[in-house]
Amino acid sequence: MRPRFHPADLLGIQVRPARLWTQSLGWVLFVAGIALYAHLSYVRHKENPYDRVAPTVHQLYQGMLTSALQPAEEDPPLDPGASLWQHIRYSMLWKDTVASARRFLIAIALLVPCIILGLHMAIFPYFGAVFQRFVLFFDKIVALSLLPILFIVFGIEEWSKIMLMVIGVGPTLVLDTFNIGKSVPREQIVKAFTLKSTNLDVAYRVVLKQVMPQIINSVRLNLKPLALFLFAGEMIASTDGLAYRIAIMRRHMGMDIILPYLLWVALLLFLLDVTLRFANRRLHPWYQSL
Amino acid sequence: MVSVALKLGPALEFPPAAVPASRRIEISLRDVALSYPAGGEGVKTVLSSINLEIAQGEFVAVLGETGCGKSTMLRLILGQEFPTAGTIEVDCKPVTKIDARCGYVPQKYSLFPDRTVLGNVMYGPENMKSRMLGRLRPSFRHFRKELRDQATAYLLRMGLRSQDLGKYPHQLSGGMQQRVAIAQALLMRPAVLLMDEAFSALDSATRASLQEQLHTIWRESRPTIVFVTHNTQEALLLGTRLILLGRHQEEQAQRSSVLLDMEVPSTRLAFGQRIHSHEFHELHEYVKQIAYKSSSLHREEDTAQPPTVEGNLQ
Repeated sequence: MRPRFHPADLLGIQVRPARLWTQSLGWVLFVAGIALYAHLSYVRHKENPYDRVAPTVHQLYQGMLTSALQPAEEDPPLDPGASLWQHIRYSMLWKDTVASARRFLIAIALLVPCIILGLHMAIFPYFGAVFQRFVLFFDKIVALSLLPILFIVFGIEEWSKIMLMVIGVGPTLVLDTFNIGKSVPREQIVKAFTLKSTNLDVAYRVVLKQVMPQIINSVRLNLKPLALFLFAGEMIASTDGLAYRIAIMRRHMGMDIILPYLLWVALLLFLLDVTLRFANRRLHPWYQSL
Repeated sequence: MVSVALKLGPALEFPPAAVPASRRIEISLRDVALSYPAGGEGVKTVLSSINLEIAQGEFVAVLGETGCGKSTMLRLILGQEFPTAGTIEVDCKPVTKIDARCGYVPQKYSLFPDRTVLGNVMYGPENMKSRMLGRLRPSFRHFRKELRDQATAYLLRMGLRSQDLGKYPHQLSGGMQQRVAIAQALLMRPAVLLMDEAFSALDSATRASLQEQLHTIWRESRPTIVFVTHNTQEALLLGTRLILLGRHQEEQAQRSSVLLDMEVPSTRLAFGQRIHSHEFHELHEYVKQIAYKSSSLHREEDTAQPPTVEGNLQ
């Protein structure tokens, strides 16, 4: 029989919390954070009704509506009879999300060759010999310090920001894939060759297939660094994008827009992470049980 | 007499291993040695002066204590490593890389974890039939269907149930995994099947069952098998020939060579009863004694009988 809960169990290692408990405890900090913010906002607004640092819940709601349904200041206003869909489609939030998402997805697509390079370095000894030391060194270069060079080479338009993301995360992903590829037991590779595999069979049908779930996990872990480099690029030189809007709003102390944007970015990354995790589980049912 | 490189007590007579001239040589090792730089200690010789000829259809059990170079010898035959001296030929061709001439069943990681049982077994024959684009042809689909039936029949014969065929390796027991691994290797019809401590990680009941299964397969289709083990009983039970690797008593160097190369006497007893016979027991004791005298546990002044479990040799 499961022992009854005792407060001392909170610090125990051998305890087995009930499912309801674990589910509920997962939301405690969210609720606490919201309550703390509401209290802080209330106190500040009591002292100064024009406070802009901690907007009230109502102000946040209004800010959300403005972001999601109204066009940006630099865009022409919508017709008064525009439909809800048109409001959303031409809104500030939509425009910025599409701009940032495009850069983000192009950068992710450009990271695929990094995965292939890491895989080849792990399997083909000559690839490893040529690239390993260089990538190890290149990984230590602070990507943001390359930004002036990227602006000179790619201009201040899209590609400099995309390349900042690729250069910032690429070497880490190469090395990660290299290490993951190296961890495949030698017996598997030997076995594959005895089963008449070619070099490419071994690389793509044996090793890549086995390490794919770990590579997807590595990409998941690199989502935040990717977003970080995207934000750095957008904040420095851009005319649209989520980070651009946050930077613009910061000048006006527009916390009623900044906070919903911040939560929107976190939600997008969270959803992307959940999607990748779900896809990983569906595509590689054998991996979860290892 | 058997070629024994050790001083033994009572001499027992067993036929020496010799390949009849009429039989095709499947594996040959000539003056094979393997050494590698060992930091400040100069060069470390792992194997020296290995001369072996293994005929087609032989079941060779390679015995020796841990670290004596059994698996290294297997890797040399496989082409995973190369000798520093001497030559190795498999199927009358020099070994220059790992290829499909040899089937391989290691102790662990013997199956691809991302493929089902059927997927694992069909992987090799599919490679043999066609490469990337060839798989789009309708004839390949037909071949695949035939192969699936053939693989299913083979796996069922190996003792798997039809509901196991769609499972992934991690959903199978160790014994089942090794059955699949053997089927996977044998379906390729390799010239030689190399098994590296393939049953070592299994419990005794599963092990006995797999030993019998392997013996049946060997008796029916006579593939050439090189079976590395540190279990004397297993080696004598399965092998038609026994090779004992170890260090020479008079040499202090840490290099191994063939200490004993003998034909295991055949018997008319059923496989399950063989182990209980007096002849088997006598042979077991004899080999154990030689193995013990070559092992790291033995000292020159030691006159005691080998313990039941001699170091790594059981």
